[in-house]
Amino acid sequence: MASCLDLRAVVMRYGAGPGAVNALESIDLAVEDHEFVTIVGPSGCGKSTLLYLVGGFLRPTAGSLQLRGKEIAGPGPDRGIVFQRYSLFPWLTVRGNIGYGLDEQGMAKAERDRIVDEYVQLVHLEGFEERYPRELSGGMQQRVALAQTLACEPDILLMDEPFGALDAQTRRILQDEVRRIWRRDTKTVLFVTHDVEEAVALGTRIVVMSARPGRIKEMFVRGFDVGDGEEFEADPAFAELKLRIWRSVKEEVEAARA
Amino acid sequence: MRIVPLLLLICAWQAAASFGVLPKTLLPSFFDVAAQLGAHVRSGEIFGHTAASFARAGAGCGIAVAAGVALGLIMARMRAVERAMEPILLMIYPVPKPAMIPLFMIWLGIGDFSKVAVIALACLLPVVVATFNGARSVDDMLIWSARARGTSEARLLWRVVLPSALPQIAAGVRTAIAIAIIVLVSSEFISAEKGLGYLIFSYGGVGADDAMLAIVIWLAALGYFLDRGYLAGLRRVMRWHAFAH
Repeated sequence: MASCLDLRAVVMRYGAGPGAVNALESIDLAVEDHEFVTIVGPSGCGKSTLLYLVGGFLRPTAGSLQLRGKEIAGPGPDRGIVFQRYSLFPWLTVRGNIGYGLDEQGMAKAERDRIVDEYVQLVHLEGFEERYPRELSGGMQQRVALAQTLACEPDILLMDEPFGALDAQTRRILQDEVRRIWRRDTKTVLFVTHDVEEAVALGTRIVVMSARPGRIKEMFVRGFDVGDGEEFEADPAFAELKLRIWRSVKEEVEAARA
Repeated sequence: MRIVPLLLLICAWQAAASFGVLPKTLLPSFFDVAAQLGAHVRSGEIFGHTAASFARAGAGCGIAVAAGVALGLIMARMRAVERAMEPILLMIYPVPKPAMIPLFMIWLGIGDFSKVAVIALACLLPVVVATFNGARSVDDMLIWSARARGTSEARLLWRVVLPSALPQIAAGVRTAIAIAIIVLVSSEFISAEKGLGYLIFSYGGVGADDAMLAIVIWLAALGYFLDRGYLAGLRRVMRWHAFAH
């Protein structure tokens, strides 16, 4: 059976001539169904670019990107994306934002409202349905963005440093929620972050990228399970894996600075 | 508290008139002007003129908003239209529109059409510019977000570009409303039989400066409350947007 997502020899170059920037160089990556793959690397390594290519917002310079055996030709609701910020529609309420994709599918209002209510509960936003994004905290806005994306029932969930702009406590709570939702629905997730702890706490597989031009440097499979609680933090295996990955990332951060 | 400077200004005006700092022919007293305004309101005469004027301003401004939003959106999405329209708009922008009234009268007659047309032309530009800028500065993330949630390229204009541009369009319309009132008065100076501009011009022509100023003040007050009302309405309708003031 084909992988959920299959990237082969993907190259991404911005611009042309001597000023061209090589963002990504020969990326090969297959993501299987129900996997939670986190991509971690120094800033500017092209990890967000990789996600935008999968989203279909950018076209690769070379190589192939396939979703369920079909070449990705543009954006589509089979790939849901959560950006770091500002991706909610400010003129729509929480209800309008979560129901946006369903509305675009032409779903009748009654059915849409029922599904929206489900997702409002899933991300704990009961009572905020009629609020506008500017009336919500950053953490609540990201909950809405997550619900908006999940409501479209995508084949794969793409997350571009979704909690990078949040304070540490809110980030922890949302990480737990994402893990809970992933375990419940066994969604396939591709998650970009620069936070090693986040990468290990969430990913079943952790991909480390090199400094620009971005290449896949190393992959780590998290062999142990992370439950719903905080117990995993006391697990020596967690600390050890985090340290190994951090050392790998650190080399790249230093390479990027040099 | 906001009214204090205004009251001081009126006191200074009345004092200047009472103590003969300026002769009455140059500066009518505030009390005389107020009495004139009172008489016009009591007789009800001013309301018919006000209605005639605001119908013209409303029609001109309305046409400008409909055409301006459409043109601004098209220009923002289609390079060819932008390139074709930009020099024309930039040349029209600084032209004093009242100067074109005689020309419009030749084309459209001396009735309401020429007046509405000149108001519409004057109001068009701020609306086009605001819509264009608003539509051009739509956040890429919102476009991407909509595309990833199933919005087609064709529906983006309606679903994302227009609503994103609304705050800027609203600001452009506010400018257009002020311009409509300014141009309205000039358009009524010639060949009008009704309207506040006609009244101002008629009283000015016969040296009835107190009555003329009474109409000017009436117009200024209406303009002020129209602007306040517009902003209050916007805040209600566009609760999703954080207005600067």
